[in-house]
Amino acid sequence: MLFLKVNIDGRAESSSYEHLHEMIEAVEAAGEHDGWPPDLAFKVTLVVDELSQNVIDYSCTEGLNDVLVELTTNPDEITVEVIDDGIPFNPLTDSAPPDLTSAIEDRDPGGLGVHFTKTLMDDVQYSRVEGKNRVKITARKPR
Amino acid sequence: MNISTERQSGALIAVAEGRVDGANALEFHEALEAAVSPEDTGMVLDFEGISYISSAGLRVVLLVAKMLQKQNAKMAVCSLSDSIREIFEISGFDKIIPVHGSRAEALAGVGS
Repeated sequence: MLFLKVNIDGRAESSSYEHLHEMIEAVEAAGEHDGWPPDLAFKVTLVVDELSQNVIDYSCTEGLNDVLVELTTNPDEITVEVIDDGIPFNPLTDSAPPDLTSAIEDRDPGGLGVHFTKTLMDDVQYSRVEGKNRVKITARKPR
Repeated sequence: MNISTERQSGALIAVAEGRVDGANALEFHEALEAAVSPEDTGMVLDFEGISYISSAGLRVVLLVAKMLQKQNAKMAVCSLSDSIREIFEISGFDKIIPVHGSRAEALAGVGS
């Protein structure tokens, strides 16, 4: 199991994104070590990126928040939990639905991160436990 | 991330290299916005060197497409990796921004 912990400062967005970048690189390195095919590595990295970014955008309060990423793999699947101690936010129900059909001038880019999470992962679950948001994603490895 | 630009018969070609995510989406947006001139009749965003893009980067692609549409210029993208092409399709972006296999096809698509 890989534990990654990033301290997010809700008052300084740009530096938070840079910390996030380090976390993403660690997920990529774990994927390389575990031999994920490039396509699967892209998807898992993207979804962890999107979920962590949602924490920065919606769940962070005006101070320091911890974002913890727990990654577990076995021969069949990859499980990642993104855990934060910010305000309650369930990305599966509290995010705007994506706009996938409007013309360019009306198209709203919001909600794509959660849309990717639901579309690209085999399972996504949210829970609020002991004051923390926990989003658990599962991706099956190809046989 | 590096961005270089060139022009070919009225069309702007922007080539970005590296990763586009929440950490550098603003930089990506500012560089593309600064590259577009009001005289441009088309723009091709070449993804050949882009290994990764998240929704933060896709948002910028959409904002640039909106900007070009306001000046009646066409925009197309080319040379997407298989993974990036997939998220482009999942986003429904391929329905509003033409996706081409090569830069030459994209240039023809924007009328240059």
